Amino acid sequence: MSKDEVESTYFRRTSRWKFILILLILALIATVIVSLNVGYAQISFTEILKILGKQIPFLNNLNGSSPIKPSDESIILQIRLPRILAGALIGAALAASGVLYQGVFKNPMADSYVLGVSAGAAVGASFSILFGVSSIVFGLRLVQVAAFLGALFAMFLVYNISRVGSRVPVATLLLCGIAVNFFLFALVGLMEVIAGDELHAIVFWLMGGFSNVLWKDIWAVLPFILFGTVAAYFYARDLNLLAMGEDTAQHLGVNVERAKQRILVLASLITGAAVSISGLIGFVGLMIPHVTRLVIGPDHRILFPTSAIIGAIFLVVCDDLARVVATPFASTLELPVGIITMLFGAPFFILLFKKKKQSYAL
Amino acid sequence: MNRKYIIITAVVAAILIVSAAFAYIYYQGQAASSQDLQGLVDDHGYTTSLAAYPNTIISLAPSNTEILFALGLDNKVVAVTDYCNYPYNFTEWRAAGNMTSVGTFSAPNMEVIASLNPDLILATAGVQGETVDTMRSLGYNVLVLDPTNITGVFKDIELVGKATGKNAEATALVNSLSARIDAVVNKVADAPTKPKVYYEVWYDPTSLWSAGSKAWQNEVIEKAGGTNIFADQQLGYFQSSAEAVVDRNPDVIVLPAEGMGSGEPFWVSLEAVKARPAWDSISAVQNDRLYMVDSDTIARAGPRVADAIEQLAAFIHPELF
Repeated sequence: MSKDEVESTYFRRTSRWKFILILLILALIATVIVSLNVGYAQISFTEILKILGKQIPFLNNLNGSSPIKPSDESIILQIRLPRILAGALIGAALAASGVLYQGVFKNPMADSYVLGVSAGAAVGASFSILFGVSSIVFGLRLVQVAAFLGALFAMFLVYNISRVGSRVPVATLLLCGIAVNFFLFALVGLMEVIAGDELHAIVFWLMGGFSNVLWKDIWAVLPFILFGTVAAYFYARDLNLLAMGEDTAQHLGVNVERAKQRILVLASLITGAAVSISGLIGFVGLMIPHVTRLVIGPDHRILFPTSAIIGAIFLVVCDDLARVVATPFASTLELPVGIITMLFGAPFFILLFKKKKQSYAL
Repeated sequence: MNRKYIIITAVVAAILIVSAAFAYIYYQGQAASSQDLQGLVDDHGYTTSLAAYPNTIISLAPSNTEILFALGLDNKVVAVTDYCNYPYNFTEWRAAGNMTSVGTFSAPNMEVIASLNPDLILATAGVQGETVDTMRSLGYNVLVLDPTNITGVFKDIELVGKATGKNAEATALVNSLSARIDAVVNKVADAPTKPKVYYEVWYDPTSLWSAGSKAWQNEVIEKAGGTNIFADQQLGYFQSSAEAVVDRNPDVIVLPAEGMGSGEPFWVSLEAVKARPAWDSISAVQNDRLYMVDSDTIARAGPRVADAIEQLAAFIHPELF
């Protein structure tokens, strides 16, 4: 290939990527706007636009004089919007960390459960529910802080147990992670047994959900997720090389041990922040990277950001479904979003696999 | 010597005759009421027959325990669950060795039950379904009490009364409870409004749960002169949304307080409830009409139902009470 040919391939590829990203970002924005219409309270689309327009400086006096119902305004701005944005943020975080875990482990089953991160968060949350003296710490919910610290603690624990000299072999990491994961979930089970009246709180947290999320919860985790994903993006190239094997990557100039360590820390930071407000929501971190890989391809430079956006869209749509699918049975009935992600996600995943037919690898 | 034998014989004979007479009278009494002990039909339609009035009873549910103690069967109850906390603090009783625990409500310990060899077990439905089958196949007499409304509670009180020889007490209890409930119902009938009531079952960042028309609290709210905002939902406890509560705009919010003051409730504080996103547009919040009620009193389908209704009525209609 001549230099010109390389350059034109590169140009075509990057412009294709830009196109995909712009398309997905538009799809995400559309999903958020459509989702604002989904919910129990009947609020018309024009009223929603008015409510949103009112928040934008300079646009707020273009609304005309027709008044907005105050309860509708607070439903949109204080209940639906934070809930939708939390869904997008958590979906993006879980999917992004899924890409990182699967990339480092070169294992299609890897997700935040594998390193014990989810289990660590569960232990932290359950422990604080059972033994916390106050529900608020640093202006945040204790459960949230404890889950975040639990997730990071579990990750450091697994990483240090798996260390062999200065190296951390992936196989050891995986096995230690699974062992620690079981151990930590046993602790959660133990706490459930002695929980008594607090049992509901633990069970609901484990089921996951973000129906009643507050703006301040979102502001609290946003910096971690933003920093984690942006920083992790710089390792996309290393992940591509790691996919060819650690030795090959090492020869091609990747500091394999350092890259693995940093990627795992970032992935755990992202997951810990996400689950701290949502509880455990399964399947997103595992499935979305695979779906994206099927559609977009395995190059981490595009796989990572697109997975995050698709994850965001997916979880927001699942939460919309959680709000509406049960309403034919009872008009105000909602379902836990974690049930929807699996109930609708799994068949969709299988369908996509069947359609692709060709052999699939990471 | 002879005289001594005669006296002994006479005493023995007298004892025999007296005890025979007592036994006769006792068994006559038994026979007279033994019809009560035949064909005891429980809430699952299962028919049990007892040979005699039970001397040892195990309760597998807090509401069952409350019925037993309300009927004055204090000295017949040999074991209760860890969740039973009324009318006495059974934790202290257990510590003092006066009561045995069968463990948790959802998983009663079969070995403890078997070792006590009870004459009667009062179980409940749902999670105890399997336990009930096991106990019956081991030959124990089990009555399943699973009332879904106030009439059901009365029926169960009468059933327990029948099975334990406390018919009169059961009738008196039912009469007094229904008189108290009727008094409230008559009083609130004069009220000009039927305030909309939101009863909270659970709230945390993950979800909000309330009570539909099939939940026990629905009838309690109704009798107390209110309307459950979710009365149109044909469900028991169910996951709803904060949005639906805001939209349905309750006049009164009722929050269960576990043990009234021991530990922090799931809703944290009344201030926290008022500060929930968008809840400032709810009438109950604007008029500061948030009330706490002992969660056991309002949630247990048992003899404290009249207490619950009287309390709620005072919250819903402060102008009448």
